[in-house]
Parts: sequence; structure tokens; C-alpha cells
Amino acid sequence: MKSRSPLRPRKSGYLFIAPYVVLLGAIGIYPAGYVVYMALTSLSAHFTGLSNFIDATHNAEFVPAFENIIKFLGIWLTTLVVFVVGLSLMLHSLHGRVGAAFRFVLYLPAALAGSASVMLWLFMLQPGKSPWGFVLSWLGYHSLGDSLAPAHLPVIFALIAFWSGAGSWIVVMHGALATIPDEVLESARLDGAGAWRTAVHIKLPLIKKWIAYMVIGAFAAGSQLFAEPQLISEATGGLANQAWSPNQLAIFLAFHYDYFNYAAAISVDLLVVAVICAAVILLRTGLFDVGH
Amino acid sequence: MYVLLAVFAAFFALPIIWLVFEAIGVHLAPIAHNLGLWLFNSTLYSAAGAAIALATGIPAGYAIATHEFPGRRVLLILTMLVMLIPTSALVLPLFLEANEVHQLTSPFALIVPYGLYPFGVYLSYLYFHTERFHVLLQTARTDGCNEWQVFRHIALPLAKPVAALIVFLNIVASWTNFFLPWVMYWSTDTTNRYPLPLGIALQLFGGETSGEYLGVVQLHTTSPPSAIAFLLLATLAPVVVVLVLARRWIGSGQFQSVFR
Repeated sequence: MKSRSPLRPRKSGYLFIAPYVVLLGAIGIYPAGYVVYMALTSLSAHFTGLSNFIDATHNAEFVPAFENIIKFLGIWLTTLVVFVVGLSLMLHSLHGRVGAAFRFVLYLPAALAGSASVMLWLFMLQPGKSPWGFVLSWLGYHSLGDSLAPAHLPVIFALIAFWSGAGSWIVVMHGALATIPDEVLESARLDGAGAWRTAVHIKLPLIKKWIAYMVIGAFAAGSQLFAEPQLISEATGGLANQAWSPNQLAIFLAFHYDYFNYAAAISVDLLVVAVICAAVILLRTGLFDVGH
Repeated sequence: MYVLLAVFAAFFALPIIWLVFEAIGVHLAPIAHNLGLWLFNSTLYSAAGAAIALATGIPAGYAIATHEFPGRRVLLILTMLVMLIPTSALVLPLFLEANEVHQLTSPFALIVPYGLYPFGVYLSYLYFHTERFHVLLQTARTDGCNEWQVFRHIALPLAKPVAALIVFLNIVASWTNFFLPWVMYWSTDTTNRYPLPLGIALQLFGGETSGEYLGVVQLHTTSPPSAIAFLLLATLAPVVVVLVLARRWIGSGQFQSVFR
């Protein structure tokens, strides 16, 4: 697949990569460096070490924000793994066209990515306007505010994230399952393994790498949650928490100039999480070849 | 098992079906004036961003795949690292930077970040890092072509499939992006720069919400649900259009075979 023929040394390579490297420096490296610098200094540019990080944790919203995001991640990652893997395995056992048709339906929401799906779900959660109205009234909710009660939020965000994200992951898992050689499945069949045993003992272990990629990727993206809780907050006219997630808290602080450095500190916290996840995917899942 | 699959299919499909039915009865007149502005902005940001991503990504991936130079492996690893970081992690740093260079309300606050597309570089690298290309390029080099000629006359014409893919993925990401525009424009109330997602949010939340406590909060939108539904479908449409166009270019099996 990959060529091993030698690459002759060429200085002209620098010209080709120059525009990209400049952009990477200006939009990737520089902002990251700048935010780290802001996190380590005070408003008057004195070096303050880790005190911004520590002071940020004293903010009344800090701990709740991280509690919220952890609750959300717990629900979402579990749902993701169980249902994406389960659905993928089920669809894989179906005949080509039927499986493809189901996959298409499950993928549709994923094309309506990002904020649009949240806004759509605001209608889904509004008793009276929602086609799911019967479920909402059975649960005793009579207004949007009832649906959006604080205790429900981790579940709601997990629901929205699952609805809009599962389709893409199912497509990825489908690709992963497609790499399993037919001979392996055939010999399992000849050995008398039924659909369930084949799925659990043969297919599942072979797609472990992709499941790990999905979990780590979802963890990284989920920890940065902003748009969904922000839109929910706007929908309730600000009655619902404006600093529900750590990223929201960071943005909220950033808009008040005195707290720029605390905002930077929280942002660095989240950035470190994201970088660690990226490094783990890169170095430990074996899905990306870094060795040349 | 089929019952379970049917239940899930309903869960995923029902909101979309609702969306389509709602949008059918739409009266466009009340929102038409702003819709034009939002569509223009979204098109501008996405098109310009994709152009930059393409112009920087194809040559960079090509060079990493076919040239040997110090720092090559570092650049590749850095590219992969950055592409795996969720973009939301970089929004606040970008906001601080835009603030520092006084570009907070300019179109460049979005266009330039959209142009940084390490995943595009990675795709380009995968595309050119094959036996087939190495042989092709080696032949051209021994025939006396200089590097620029090789790139311009051999690599570039053959790059259409990966170029189409990069453009498609980049546009999908930028068209539906909410967080970055929100931080750059909503907070500073720069309504004339709003892309489509922000415009929809404006329509959605412009009305007053009733009540002082959560128990009676209802969604009072500036426009009726049909208009909102139509706008939401509008965020979906360009994705479909670009996908159709990109598939033409990518061809049915040609792209997959290059990757193998």
C-alpha cells in the first residue's frame, strides 16, 4: 500500500510546505502559545506561575461545570459504545442493501451537523410542538422549561450528541468491519458459530482499535462541549446556567476583561485534555502510522 | 433484532421527517431579507476557507509524501496531532488572538482559521504516498523535469479526487460551525457578519421567553416553526450539493483504489 522507494533529498520541499507551515504557526501554534502565556501571567504581565489555575478552581462555577461535563461524558460514552457497536454489528449481519438503507437513515442526522441539530431538538423537547409530545406528557413535562430542568441536562446533551453523531461512527465501524477477511468469518461459520457468537468473539475483538478511537475521540470532543449548552441557555432566556460546561465558563470569563487570565487557565486545562487524547490516539491505537 | 433496528431508525428519522413537513408550509417573505445576507456570509467564509485549505494542503501533503527534508517527520506528526484535536479546544485561543490583532469583527476572523486544515494535508499526504506516484515522479525527474514542473504538470492534474474530498469535508465543517462565529460575532453584536447558523439562532431566540422560572418557559421564536425548519434544511442543502459535485469528481472506484 505505502511505497518504500527512497525519497531523494530535496530542498524544494520547503517551498511546497511553506504556506501551510505559516498558517499552522499563525493559527495553531501562536494562539496555543498565547493562551498558555496568558494563563501563566497576570493582567499586568507579571509571571504568576500556576496561581491562575488554582484561583480559577475557586470560582463558584468551576467545580459544578466539571461535574456537569463528567456526568454528560459518562452517559454519552456508554451510550455511544453500547449502541454504536451493537447497531453496527447488527447491521453487518444483514444483507447488503438492507444494511445500507438502515445506515443511510442513521446517518441523515449527522449531515445536519452542529448547532442545527440542537435547534431542531429544542422543538423536539417542547411539549405541544414536538412529534414526541406523547412521550413528554407521559413524563409530566408541560413546558420547554420542564424538559430542560437542570437535572435532565446531561441526559439531553447525551441524547442530542448521540442522535447527531452515532451515524458517522456507524459508518466508520462499517468500514472497520469490512476489513475482516471473509475467510475468518467463513471458518467461524463452518465451526458452527452462530451470529451472536461470531459477533461477540470474532468481530468485536477485531474492531477494538476503532472502538478505542471512537471513545477517545468522543471524550476529547465531548469535554469541549459548548454549542449545545449555550443554545439551551439562550433558549431559556438565560434562566438556565450560562456556565454549565467548562468551555462556557472560560468564554464567560473571557468576556469580562478582568478575568482574561482565568479564562486562559481553564482553556489550557481543556486544551491539555484534548492534546493528551490526540496523543493517545496517535501513539496507542495503531490506527495511524507514525513510524517513518 | 429487527424490532430494535426499526425503533432506532424511527428515533433517528422522525425529527428529520418533522423538519421536512414543517418546512413545506413556509412563507419566506419575513426572513428573506436577512436570509440573503446570511447565505452570502456563509458562502464567503466557506468558499474562501476551502480555497486556502486546498492551496496550502495539496502542496504540503505532496511535499511530505515525495520529498525528503529535515523536519519532515516532525511536521507529519504535528499535523496528525493537530488534526485530532477538536476545533472547540482552539476557539478561545483564536478569540484571544483575534482580539489582540483587532480582527474580531472582520471576515478574516473566520476565513483564516477555516483555511487551516491539517486533515487536508494528511489526506493529500496519503494520496501521494503511493507506489504509483513515486514511480511516476521518478520517471519525470529522470526525464529532466524540475520540481515545479513535476508538481504542476503531473501531480496537480492527478490530484482532483483528493482535492474534491478536501473541499467537501472542509466546507461541511465550516458551513455548520457555530462556536467560532458565535464567539467572534455574537458577543460583539456584529449582526451583519452572521453566517447561517447564527442567523437561525437569532430567529430562534429573538422572541421573548415567557415566565421568570423554568416551569413555564416556552420557545417563542421571532418566526414561525416553518421558517426555522426551512432554515435548518438550508444548512443541510449545501452539504448535499457539494457531496453530489464531489462524487462526480471523485469517481466511483478510482479514489478507493488509489488509497489501496
